[in-house]
Amino acid sequence: MSSWLDYTINGLIVGNVYALVAVGLALIFGVSRLINFAQGSIYLVGAYIGWVAVVQLHTPLPLTIIVVAAVAAIVGLIIERFGLRPLQNSVRIAPLLATIGISFVLDQLVMLTFSPNPRALPSQLPDVRFQVGGGTIGLLDLLIAGVGLSSALLLFVFLRYTKLGWAVRATAQDRDAAMQMGVDVNRVNQTVFGIASALGGVSGMLVGMYYNQIDTAMSLQATLKGVVAEVVGGAGNVPGAVIGSLLLGLVESYGVAVLGTSYRNLFAFLLLVVVLVLRPNGLFVSARQAPPEPLTGTFIAPSRPVHIPRWALLVAVAGFLILPLFPVSFYVLQTLINAWLLGMLALSLTLVAGTMGQVSLGHAALLAIGAYTSALLSLILAVPVGLAIIGGGLMSAALGTLLISPSFRLRGHYVSIATLAIGEIVALVILNWESVTRGPIGISGIPPLSLFGYDLISPTSIYWFSLAVMVVLALLQGRLLASHLGRSFRAIRDDDTAARAYGLSLNRYKSLAFIFGGFAAGISGGIAAHLYSYINHETFNTQQSILALTVVILGGLGNVVGAILGAVALVGLPEVFRIAAEYRILIYGIVLLLLVRFRPQGLLGTI
Amino acid sequence: MSKIDRRTLVKGSFGAMMAGAAFSRAAFAQSSEPILLGVSGPLTGPNAQYGTQWKQGFDLALDEIQAAGGISGRKLAYQFEDSQSDPRQSVAIAQKFLSDPRIVMELGDFSSPASMAASPIYQRGGLVQFGFTNSHPDFTKGGDFMWSTSVSQADEQPLLASYAVKRLGLKKLAVLHLNTDWGRTSRDYFVKAAKEYGAEIAVTEGYIAEERDFRSTLVRVRDANPDGLILISYYSDGALIARQARQVGLKQVICAASSVYSPKFLELGGEAVEDVHVGTRYFPEDPRPEVQKFIAGFKSKYNGLEPDAFNAYAYDAMNMAAAVVKIGGTDRKAIRDAFAKVKDVPSVIFGTATFDVATRRVKGAMNAELVVRKGQFALWDGKPT
Repeated sequence: MSSWLDYTINGLIVGNVYALVAVGLALIFGVSRLINFAQGSIYLVGAYIGWVAVVQLHTPLPLTIIVVAAVAAIVGLIIERFGLRPLQNSVRIAPLLATIGISFVLDQLVMLTFSPNPRALPSQLPDVRFQVGGGTIGLLDLLIAGVGLSSALLLFVFLRYTKLGWAVRATAQDRDAAMQMGVDVNRVNQTVFGIASALGGVSGMLVGMYYNQIDTAMSLQATLKGVVAEVVGGAGNVPGAVIGSLLLGLVESYGVAVLGTSYRNLFAFLLLVVVLVLRPNGLFVSARQAPPEPLTGTFIAPSRPVHIPRWALLVAVAGFLILPLFPVSFYVLQTLINAWLLGMLALSLTLVAGTMGQVSLGHAALLAIGAYTSALLSLILAVPVGLAIIGGGLMSAALGTLLISPSFRLRGHYVSIATLAIGEIVALVILNWESVTRGPIGISGIPPLSLFGYDLISPTSIYWFSLAVMVVLALLQGRLLASHLGRSFRAIRDDDTAARAYGLSLNRYKSLAFIFGGFAAGISGGIAAHLYSYINHETFNTQQSILALTVVILGGLGNVVGAILGAVALVGLPEVFRIAAEYRILIYGIVLLLLVRFRPQGLLGTI
Repeated sequence: MSKIDRRTLVKGSFGAMMAGAAFSRAAFAQSSEPILLGVSGPLTGPNAQYGTQWKQGFDLALDEIQAAGGISGRKLAYQFEDSQSDPRQSVAIAQKFLSDPRIVMELGDFSSPASMAASPIYQRGGLVQFGFTNSHPDFTKGGDFMWSTSVSQADEQPLLASYAVKRLGLKKLAVLHLNTDWGRTSRDYFVKAAKEYGAEIAVTEGYIAEERDFRSTLVRVRDANPDGLILISYYSDGALIARQARQVGLKQVICAASSVYSPKFLELGGEAVEDVHVGTRYFPEDPRPEVQKFIAGFKSKYNGLEPDAFNAYAYDAMNMAAAVVKIGGTDRKAIRDAFAKVKDVPSVIFGTATFDVATRRVKGAMNAELVVRKGQFALWDGKPT
């Protein structure tokens, strides 16, 4: 029994750590309605500034905190001024994508400056520990708790009892009305970003001291956990973020207690999905608060899509078809094969995110389901590879739609967060369900691609095969969009209330979109499995989901040709920048930012 | 007549001289062109640190190879392509290397998904894929162009089990392992060997690579009441577990796999890693000349930085590559055949390395039983802690 006390204490301690990130995220969401994916990077910057202060400048703790807070705040102000403010009047998705781009840039800058090797960040507090239950609590644990709780309290007071705080809340409620009342909205945004970034930086430093370890890979994980905690608590609600964090810590700790360490994150993401399904606005959103998302077309930029004449498309397809007849290197073909596979994934996502308005951040899960199904069918049941791949597509369509269906009643950002969680859950199930998926060992010796008993092993034949599959899927999708069904999808995207009033069943149409999309993504994963011959739980990860989203936004949401163009560009760009070695992801991030800044509706525009 | 003769003679010899100069310049140009190896590995992304460590090891080995006259007078060099250890990128890199006639063999990739996704391409294209961190049991089964100097876990884990069970006398063990292909394979070999030596496995816990908090895991470990903790971890997570184990009051003996062997383990772990036992493939006080030369060279090249296991793997791999190219020349097939012919290549990890042609791996990793004393790795003196 006493162990449960220990699990509880441990859960609260790690929950404290999550709270430090979640509070900053909540503050920014409260004002800008923006999930700031760069918060983890500011946390990273704070940790390294802390390292410079402690290890090189030997500052005492209070001064360390001030230095870190100041530098992080300045970084936040720069992000707000140059990264986000220019996007104020563009589509909602633009600042979201911009924060992803900013996080690439910041992470790479830190990595280039400090090298990717982990460093020790010594705690500046004496190692005094108090016995509680079977374990101990240290001074640093208490400091982290103090910082988390007092910053939440201070923010609460600030928002409720100061003039600037009122301005912040007014802006959060209704930006235009606030402006008319004479609130300097830009100043409000600046203030909020400065505070949130200072908090984020200090939390990175404290967490670094807590573990005596900082490294450049810590930012994504921090963002993920922070986002989960914040959404559980109620997006934009500062005290809610603290409680959500503690709850997340507890659930994880109890999850470890019941099933073991390997299931830890599974519990975290299940908690998120359950909360979102039962209380779509999080646990602590007051009834009087305005709905957190506008009701119509959250992410869709009204734009006139670029019309590409039919003959030009035909010429392009013909050009790609005859490309292998020219003396091009297999490297170019392989890069294009990657582009076609990503293209299929993008077709899937552009349908559900663009046409249907359900922005999914867990699309890699559909790849994984298709890949595992196809690999296992061909290996264990000796199903011919061609059929196995179709089986993978069908399984992705069915299982994927079933898994994602709890998110159907959510809106806007919440759909992305729920799908992100579902993606992580699928990856963790693959890791833990060893009797079927072989867990971390993965599946090796997957037979190569073959069609009618004829092996496709040369890059040229794989190239033609994947190009043909993608073109067929694209034609089908084009046909779908032009049909009555396509118009219903867009009607639901643009105004779901009106669509429902007209008698459209939202769940049914969303299911149809995910079934078609799941099929395309599953086919892509299936082909990849046979192409690679080895897959494990790490092959299809969150980064691929983010990449897919970037592709469809780059191409123009809902735009079939745009999705393919985006895939070619985003597979191609990192290859082109290959000569830049360590700098290539930095350059890629900057290109992404410029794109968001100057063409937020995507290259070809939304359809 | 004689004049003309002389002129002809002069002309002729001048021509010959010119031709000779041109010829020797051509020959010089050919020999000054370095022999190129392709490296596919992470320079950005979450595994970037390992790519950086590879480079340090490679560069040191190349300095020594060049100083010793290179490969029959030609320099050896590598072209490092950043894969982020992502399978999509490693397959494109594989095609890139295949279609570049200057590349004679490939080294890498870092993780199993990235390496093994590229294997079919290397195998069909007939370019050696020389993996030196690829302990996945199926890596070398990809074909006869896959060779590896990665220490087989079938080799290493029984040594660690023997250290823990036979030498330290731990009878009831808790095993914490990184839940990747490497950690899982290692755990299975360790558990099998430990049971054969008569130990009981009280609990095993797998954790994912991004995990930072182990307190709750350690409560499970405490409740299983083992008399020793076995860490199958890298240095960063190994240090975290040791710190948190001491913080939550676990006082058991900790024994860790060689992958924690890094100065970073001491730096990150601080006082918590004092008395941790490590079975390792090499250690600085090993008097063998290969080891001493490696450590001295590394410290002088990198401003006193202490090398670690990944530096050593990369250094050994480059030396092995040089030995293979010396025999096989620049023909890709001949290089594959040369792997079977190299004998007793001086190596930090193996003492001397020779491939087992059946498994295409190297057998007989060195073993040293170390313990952390006063913040330093030291040979274990046989005294209990």
